[in-house]
Amino acid sequence: MKLSTALRDKKLGTVVTILIVLMLLPFGFSAARFALAGDPEVPDVFLEMPVDYYNRCVEDTDYMRFHHMDLLKRIREEFIRDGMRGNVSLTNCRHCHTSRERFCNRCHEAASVVLDCFGCHYYPEPDSESQQTGL
Amino acid sequence: MDRREFLKKGGAVLAGSSGALGLPLLTSCDANVAREGSPLAGRKWGMVIDLSKCQSDCTACLDACRHENNVAFHNDKRWDVHWIRKVSIRNEESEDDAEKPVLLLCNHCENPPCAQVCPVQATYKRADGIVVVDHHRCIGCRYCMIACPYNARFFNYKENEEWPNTDFPKRSHGVAESCNFCAHRLDQDKRPACVEACEAMDIRALYFGNLNDPDSEVSELVASEPVKRIRDDWGTEPKVYYLGL
Amino acid sequence: MQVEFSKIEGRSLPFYLAAAVLAVLGIAGVYSTYLMSAHGLYLSGMTNRVPWGLQISMAIFYIGLSAGSLVVSGLYGIFGKLEYKPFARIAAYLAMLFLIAGLLSILTDQGRVDRVFVKPFTYLNVTSMFSINPALYSGHVLICIIYLWALFREKGALTKITSFTVCLWAIGTHTGTGAIFAFVPRELYNSALLPPSFVAAALSSGAALMILANVAVFRGTGRPMDDRLVIWLGRPLLAVFLVCTLYVLLIENAHRFYLAESREAGMFFLFGGFHSLMFWFGLIIFGCIIPAILLFVRRTGTSVPWVVFASCLVVVGVLFERFLIVIPGLIHPPELFPGWEVTGTVLWEGIVDYSISFYEVLQALGVLGIIGFAFLMGLKFLPLAPTEAKTWTAA
Repeated sequence: MKLSTALRDKKLGTVVTILIVLMLLPFGFSAARFALAGDPEVPDVFLEMPVDYYNRCVEDTDYMRFHHMDLLKRIREEFIRDGMRGNVSLTNCRHCHTSRERFCNRCHEAASVVLDCFGCHYYPEPDSESQQTGL
Repeated sequence: MDRREFLKKGGAVLAGSSGALGLPLLTSCDANVAREGSPLAGRKWGMVIDLSKCQSDCTACLDACRHENNVAFHNDKRWDVHWIRKVSIRNEESEDDAEKPVLLLCNHCENPPCAQVCPVQATYKRADGIVVVDHHRCIGCRYCMIACPYNARFFNYKENEEWPNTDFPKRSHGVAESCNFCAHRLDQDKRPACVEACEAMDIRALYFGNLNDPDSEVSELVASEPVKRIRDDWGTEPKVYYLGL
Repeated sequence: MQVEFSKIEGRSLPFYLAAAVLAVLGIAGVYSTYLMSAHGLYLSGMTNRVPWGLQISMAIFYIGLSAGSLVVSGLYGIFGKLEYKPFARIAAYLAMLFLIAGLLSILTDQGRVDRVFVKPFTYLNVTSMFSINPALYSGHVLICIIYLWALFREKGALTKITSFTVCLWAIGTHTGTGAIFAFVPRELYNSALLPPSFVAAALSSGAALMILANVAVFRGTGRPMDDRLVIWLGRPLLAVFLVCTLYVLLIENAHRFYLAESREAGMFFLFGGFHSLMFWFGLIIFGCIIPAILLFVRRTGTSVPWVVFASCLVVVGVLFERFLIVIPGLIHPPELFPGWEVTGTVLWEGIVDYSISFYEVLQALGVLGIIGFAFLMGLKFLPLAPTEAKTWTAA
């Protein structure tokens, strides 16, 4: 069967169209919502000042804002594989960035980036002292 | 292009492509060499367990380990995790029913089968000889548990709800784990939790130290006493030695 | 000989019913996998002593099934046996589907399914059979697709080349799958004969499946088929594969008995519990010997219903064989203290048992549903099945 005849085949065409529509559905859905909202509702993400426990953060604010995940990935390799345990660690972050909710979740939810840290690492909520499990 | 030139160029292409194929092999062989600036180089941690001192009703080291490393306990034999566990064994030939306790933990083999089979290099032999699991990488395939002939590796079938030591991470469900000689304590110049617990009970059945240092307690014990390793004939070269096995 | 291929009608009630059942099974399997990845693998029957269970057994079973189909396909592709041309497309398509089923089974068995798509590529460990095998499997799927394309377009030379490659690659795939177990220091796993025995059982189960699939397709659609084709697949081919399987199994177990150090493990495997019943009755008697006799005896071996019956027995027997590769090696404890008996412990130290859980069965059925659905859709939308299958002489 030639490609041109295959494209003209009605049944095959229907199946392919349904597949493409299914694949594009999520994109179409958010695009439609964006268009319908008129004044698009940008998630209200604002940054808060951390508590002054240390004088300064380990890196500049600009670096931390966009590359904190790279830093975390680097130190975790150094920690586990090379035994280079410096003072930079996720456990120490919480001294200034006191709340997981305000300093991690809010932004990650807005950007739809799944956090995989707190199933294993302890990062308490100051409001409710209960430690949460799960992601 | 004449024949000679063709052979030359073809050979170069062949050599180049085979080199490219060999690249992952080289990088993986290189994997457990310490990075520059790592404090691990030159050390080789080992443990000696004196079974004649170990008491069958004492669980100090087991409890200390569970508390220090947030090891999961669901009170169900199928899913409990034991980084260190105690079994009692009885001589099949002897007439009396005398039992003796044996502590079993990860042997931190020199040739770890678990690290060899891990598809993502999550289980890994550090430069100081400790076999650690990088839980960030583990995909939970459980091939390491198949490969470990000592049954010293465990899988988190269930989420661990207890979190006694918040300075140390726990493990979410879906990753494998085993004893790591309390690597986080060693890096802070402390000794493993089980060794300290044994000392606190004034039993002193566990000795821990650097096997590369001839003056360390463990090296002297290994050199002078009749120490044994579990199933030395397997060629895994464990670094946990037993006195009086 | 000109062979006409055409899509099947696919409008009858049984067709829609079968498709619906398979689709529901597939969805149930996906849901069960979701539950396991959300709540933990304790929903499966696996434990810390038996960390691999039904899903891995099913995975290696599917991988094995793909082999025989390729051999049948190769009869036309490599040796140019034109009378097997009618079966070639179905065989190649099924081989591809079963490889995908094997990959799906392994995938759904992971503790962290979300990481499987990233970590093995970024941190490849070439010494692990588990990272070599997925490369072999996906390469296999890829070659199958090229082969199918060559078959659809009737490209003679390309068919020959790809069919040859795919048969060679299949040997690599199956040896690699056997090596997952054979290269591991466990008493009942560690045997250099395991990969060959895996290949032999794979060939018999695959040939049996090919017989079943072809008879089902031709009888189901009412298209004419010459019985001699199926009988030839059964009588020399499947029967010879069965004898090979029996031979390798015999050597493997005899070897365990002759060495003093593995005699106890050999005894455990052959006479040590429920799995031994599976071995003797499921695999040896009903899975190998009875089908082999049925095929070799002229009267039963030349009648299609008997050949189909024998093929069913073989497929089930090889499913038992796969289960017996994985489970007994795990429930048999490693001998840590030779001469000593372990009396008290916190963990299951001695011989343990493994029971399959509902969710695991659902996962396995789900994989089966997905590929069964894909097979039906393939029949409906691709010209896989020939309008008739005749022998050369009849044409």
